[in-house]
Amino acid sequence: MSRILVVTSGKGGVGKTTTTANLGMALAQRGHKVAVVDADFGLRNLDLLLGLENRIVYTAVEVLAGECRLDQALVRDKRQPNLALLPAAQNRTKDAVTPEQMKKLVGALTKAFHYILIDCPAGIEMGFQNAISPAREAIIVTTPEVAAVRDADRVVGLLEANDVKRMYLVINRLKPAMVEQDMMMSVKDVQEILAIPLLGVVPDDERVIVSTNRGEPLVLSENPSLAAVAFSNIVRRLEGEKVPFLDLTAPQDDLFSRLRRLFRGRSKP
Amino acid sequence: MTSDSSLPAAIPSIVQPAPEVSPVPQVRFKGESGRLLLLLPSETEVVSSAATWTDIWQQLKQRLNAGERFWQPNTPVHLIARDRLLDGRQLQSIADALTEAQLQLKRVYTSRRQTAVAAATTGLSVEQQSPVAHLNQPEESGQALAEPLYIQTTVRSGMEVRHPGTVIILGDVNPGSTIIADGDVLVWGMLRGVVQAGAAGNTRCVIMALRMEPTQLRIADFVARAPEAPPNLYQPEVAYVISDSIRIIRAADFSKERLLPPVSSDIEAEE
Ligand SMILES: Nc1ncnc2c1ncn2[C@@H]1O[C@H](COP(=O)(O)OP(=O)(O)OP(=O)(O)O)[C@@H](O)[C@H]1O
Ligand SMILES: [Mg+2]
Repeated sequence: MSRILVVTSGKGGVGKTTTTANLGMALAQRGHKVAVVDADFGLRNLDLLLGLENRIVYTAVEVLAGECRLDQALVRDKRQPNLALLPAAQNRTKDAVTPEQMKKLVGALTKAFHYILIDCPAGIEMGFQNAISPAREAIIVTTPEVAAVRDADRVVGLLEANDVKRMYLVINRLKPAMVEQDMMMSVKDVQEILAIPLLGVVPDDERVIVSTNRGEPLVLSENPSLAAVAFSNIVRRLEGEKVPFLDLTAPQDDLFSRLRRLFRGRSKP
Repeated sequence: MTSDSSLPAAIPSIVQPAPEVSPVPQVRFKGESGRLLLLLPSETEVVSSAATWTDIWQQLKQRLNAGERFWQPNTPVHLIARDRLLDGRQLQSIADALTEAQLQLKRVYTSRRQTAVAAATTGLSVEQQSPVAHLNQPEESGQALAEPLYIQTTVRSGMEVRHPGTVIILGDVNPGSTIIADGDVLVWGMLRGVVQAGAAGNTRCVIMALRMEPTQLRIADFVARAPEAPPNLYQPEVAYVISDSIRIIRAADFSKERLLPPVSSDIEAEE
C-alpha cells in the first residue's frame, strides 16, 4: 500500500517545501516511485525548489476540471525518473479545490506511486484542510523557536482531530552553537512539548539556500553537506531503519572526517 | 513555582477582566442515568464567537480521542443539538465518530425543523422541541458543580477546555492552551498553558500539577504568573488563594498547611 504523507508546520517559512523536495528526491534515489504534490495553491514553489518550473504545462486544477489527464499534468524529473511533481495552480486561491477533490487526486496517484508527499501551505485554513485531508501520516516541520513550536503543537492537535494519527517530527535550522549558549530551544525542549517521534534534526546551513535558489535538492549533491546527510537519514528512519542521530555539536572542522566515517559505515553490506 | 515553598510565589492580586467575555462555546458530554448526552452549543448563545461546524467537529473528535471515561462500550447517546442547523452529512459524521468510539447515536433532540428532517432522512430517531424547552439545559447559575471531567490527552496549543466542574487532565497542558473550570484543576503532567479554577468565583478552588510552569494561573478573580527565572528543580505543586493572592506550595506541604488553622479566617468563611 502507498504511503501518503503531508508535510506541514502551521507557521510559514520553516522549511516545509525544502523538506518535501529533499525527502521526495531521497526516497526516489532509494528506488521508490514518488509523487510530490504541491498543495500551496496560489503560492506554489515546490516546482522551483525541484528546478521543474519550466516544464509545467498543466496543474492539478486542470486535472480536476477534466481539461487534461492526471499523467499529463505530472512533471517527471529528468535527473531522477522515479520522481514526479503534481504542480499547483499559481493563478488560483486555496479555495479553488476542496478536500474531497484532493482526496480524489491523491487516490488516483496511489495507483502508480509508492510514496505521495503533500507540501502543505502555512496556516490552518482551507489550504491546510485540503492538504491534510488525503494524508494518512504527517511530517511536522518546525524550527527551534517558541512561535514555530506553538504553531506546530496546534497543528498536531488538529491532525489528531482529523484522524491523522501517525506523526513524525523534523526540527529544521538548528544552530548548535546557539543551543549551547542557551539562546535557542534544544531538541529536547521541542520534543518535550510536541511529544511525537523525532525523525531527524536538520542544521541551519547556507547551502540549503543555495540549493533552493538553484532548484537542486541538497541530496543530489556529489559531496553531501551535513544537512543533506540529515535529510537522507530522515528518509531511512521513515522507512524504519535505526539510524543514530548526527552529532551536530562537534566542531565544524571535524565535519569531513565524520562524514567519511559515516559513509564508510554505510557502504558495508 | 520556586522550590523554596516558604516564599509565596505570587504576584499581587489583580481584579482581572472577567474571562467570560467571549467564551468559545464547547461541545460537552454528560452522563445521565445510563445514557450519555452529547450537548452542542447553541447557535445563538454567544453571538460574538459562535462555533462553526469545523470547531464543533474538532472539539467532538478531541473529546472522543481524549478517552473520557464516563461510558461503557455501546452506551446510547442522545444528541442535544438545540438550535443548531445540521445537515444529513454532518449528522452522519457525528454518528460515525461515535460508532468509532463504540458509542451509539440513538436519538436527536433539536428545535430546528431542517435538522429534524435531516436526522429523520439519515435514519435517526428525532424529537423536535420548542426552542426554549431544551432538555437538560446546562449551565444554569447556582447549581451544584457538574461531575468531574476526566480526560487523558495532551491539551495542545489552541485547545480550550471549559467545564462547569472539576477538570482532571492525564497529560500535559501545553503553552497556548486554556483550561477553565468552575471547580479544581488537576494536571497529572506538565502545566504550561493558562489555567483557571473556580471560574464562577469560588476562591477555595485549587490548581494542582506535577510540574507547574504556567503561562498564567487564575483562581476566581486572582491572577498569577510564573516567576521569570524558572526553578532548577520541579516538583508537584498546588496553587491556592490565601490572603488575597495566589500562592504556590509544594504538594507535599499542602495538606499539612491546610490542616493548620487558616491565617485569616474570612477566606474560609466566604461563600
Ligand atoms: N536548514 C536550513 N538552513 C538554511 N536555510 C533554510 C533551511 N531550511 C530552509 N531554509 C530556507 O528557508 C526559506 C524557507 O524555506 P521553505 O520555502 O522550505 O519553507 P516553507 O515552510 O515551505 O515556507 P512557506 O510556509 O512559505 O511555504 C528558504 O529560503 C530556504 O532556503
Ligand atoms: Mg512552502
